[in-house]
Amino acid sequence: MALEAINGVSRYHSKLDDLGEEMVIPEIGNLKNQYQLCTPDLPKSECQIGEFLIDETGRKIKLNYAHGTTTLGFKFNGGVVMAVDSRATSGQYIGSGNVKKIIEINPYLLGTMAGGAADCTYWERVLAKQCRIYELRNRERISVAAASKLLANMVYQYKGYGLSMGVMIAGWDKKGPGLYYVDNNGNRMPGNVFSVGSGSIYAYGVLDSGYRSDMSDTEAQELGRRAIYHATHRDAYSGGVVRVYHIKEDGWTKITEEDSKDLHYKYAEEKTKRSQ
Amino acid sequence: MMEVVDNSYPGFQFSNFARNENLVAKGFPMPNSRKTGTTIAGIVFKDGVVLGADTRATEGDIIADKNCSKIHYLQPNMYCCGAGTAADLEMTTQLMASQLELHRLNTGRQVPVVAANRMLKQMLFRYQGYIGAALVLGGVDKHDSHIYSIHPHGSTDRLPYTTMGSGSLAAMSVFESRWKPNMELEEAKQLVRDAIAGGVFNDLGSGSNIDLCIITKDGATMIRPYDVANVKGQRQGKYEYKRGTTEVLSTTVRPIQIVAETVKKVTVEEMDTA
Amino acid sequence: MALEMMMSGPDYMRDPRKHQFSPYANNGGTSVAIAGDDFVMIASDTRLSRGFNIFSREQDKVFPLTPKTMMASSGCWADVLTLNKVLQARLTMYSHEHHDMMSTTAVAQLLSTMLYWRRFFPYYVSNILAGIDEEGKGVVYHYDPVGHMEKLTFSATGESVSQIQPLLDNQIGGLNMLGVKPPTMTKDLARQLIHDAFVSAAERDINTGDGIIIHTITKDGKTEETVKLRRD
Repeated sequence: MALEAINGVSRYHSKLDDLGEEMVIPEIGNLKNQYQLCTPDLPKSECQIGEFLIDETGRKIKLNYAHGTTTLGFKFNGGVVMAVDSRATSGQYIGSGNVKKIIEINPYLLGTMAGGAADCTYWERVLAKQCRIYELRNRERISVAAASKLLANMVYQYKGYGLSMGVMIAGWDKKGPGLYYVDNNGNRMPGNVFSVGSGSIYAYGVLDSGYRSDMSDTEAQELGRRAIYHATHRDAYSGGVVRVYHIKEDGWTKITEEDSKDLHYKYAEEKTKRSQ
Repeated sequence: MMEVVDNSYPGFQFSNFARNENLVAKGFPMPNSRKTGTTIAGIVFKDGVVLGADTRATEGDIIADKNCSKIHYLQPNMYCCGAGTAADLEMTTQLMASQLELHRLNTGRQVPVVAANRMLKQMLFRYQGYIGAALVLGGVDKHDSHIYSIHPHGSTDRLPYTTMGSGSLAAMSVFESRWKPNMELEEAKQLVRDAIAGGVFNDLGSGSNIDLCIITKDGATMIRPYDVANVKGQRQGKYEYKRGTTEVLSTTVRPIQIVAETVKKVTVEEMDTA
Repeated sequence: MALEMMMSGPDYMRDPRKHQFSPYANNGGTSVAIAGDDFVMIASDTRLSRGFNIFSREQDKVFPLTPKTMMASSGCWADVLTLNKVLQARLTMYSHEHHDMMSTTAVAQLLSTMLYWRRFFPYYVSNILAGIDEEGKGVVYHYDPVGHMEKLTFSATGESVSQIQPLLDNQIGGLNMLGVKPPTMTKDLARQLIHDAFVSAAERDINTGDGIIIHTITKDGKTEETVKLRRD
């Protein structure tokens, strides 16, 4: 109980949780209790920022945040490979070309990021904290299934409020490699191959044609890399750096971070060599 | 199809109207036209009129032209400042200039300013405000010195001093405090300059320089620019790129093949001036 | 108007019209920050506007947070002030509790969490945080309105971001150029780039102008410099 109090954890995680006297200063809600976000006194359906996008003079207001992505993850005999691009777009504007879309939750767990960048980073940070608390309480690491369910339950509390996230939680636990897909609707499902984001259709094409469960480590990493590269090539909202991670029994390792431009010319060169 | 080939109909062409409406309904935005968020002004002084304008043209929040001309020629004794849609202003004043010139040739005398005012308001009224032109018309004829303000829907006022455009309030506040009848030329020029400067500095849609046009019985003088109200900021660095900074990805060489070369002498035909 | 009447009858017969509460205003403003090995510079223009009107020509949009961090924010001025007020309160509470100022990294995370608190009714602000980190190096954090945070060495935000950021990407990032190495950042170069970026933005963007205030933070303290821009 003492540890819970230090961490500001309430046993009953509900956004309706009364914070008592803390409510006097409304601006600090989620510093005390990360599950509690400010919900304006409006019908649920209007709690989306899209409703406020016109200023008092009638001009449109830009309130864009990072969107557009290609992320993927797949299980095979050698563990889990995760690969992502790094582009963040606000409409047509490239807000950043170097976003870290793989979030390192702990040495055995990774989360990816697709949809609202702030939504993913915030909730996966809360998840990281919960996973650590679980470890301290139970003297063992949290399973991928449990971690992904924690996240799914968190965002389900805010279903319909307009969160936007499609993430994969991957890791290694007692049962071996684990891979789950979680999104803002509350969906959560295990699987062998996932790809999320605007470029996922392209990534799936490469992934499905090259996927075998008996791939070698380097084959698997290269498959993930290629799938993301082809997505950055065809999807305008994906691009930047291609990052590849590999999760094995002893935790994740970062394999490569390569610019998609360098990959493009590398692959083009290989192609001409092969045709000669 | 005929309309594409035979372009001899006068006035506007509406053949794309229905298509564009459809596109808008389907979510394709219409392209934005260049507007002149503007300060324009005109006053009557002892010997004639002074017209003034800023020189900024904007597309949304971006400055499209830093030194555009907003005082348009109509007749040797008549000029017209424009605020609104740039293309509409340009075409309307050009059309009026030629109509007025024909009128002058037909009647064989200088066109009175009322006539220009009447023609402009009738045209603008006919198009029900869809020609986005707000004008300050100024001129001197054998009767008097005239300033008219003409609104896009076709209403007009004859006034001793007026302003228009997004900076009109800033400019009008200067006139309201300092305009008086029978001012001297230098005083009038200074007043109009200050009025336009009010718009240039206090209205984000107006900016850059101040142009003036002085019309008296002896004719018109455009002073452009009358005052460079804003000096361009000086950059401290040099931003030049060495040759070869842009990577060459592939090279193709195509020789220019000259098939045949002929020289033909053209005799100049005399124009019939009889 | 007449056409509208013919199509849908007189106004008392039409459906009630929904009037949307619009809590946001766009008050303009652009900010730039550049970090070096032992310093960080953060600057903003000093024009505060709404629509075609200028509210102020000398409003600094960079706020001191701790002796080692500053935040530039622009967008809806009401939200800028509120966010800053609440953040200041948190920092004061922290310093009373810990008898020490908050580190730049901690301020950066705090700001992100505070922005996300209002996820469903966001602060309409563009933020950059600049400071000296625990190792004495300059750092820049860039935020989106709902708290996504990115650690960088240089960044622009606000109304003229699409004019200034490409210049910085090119001159500091040295991207997509053959035989060009990114320069080592010095105070002189940072100052020159900030100056020139704003001078160019003022030429073409109606919301940027009047002046800029450039703040420099080093381990020894803060200095500021004012530069004039065109006022039209």
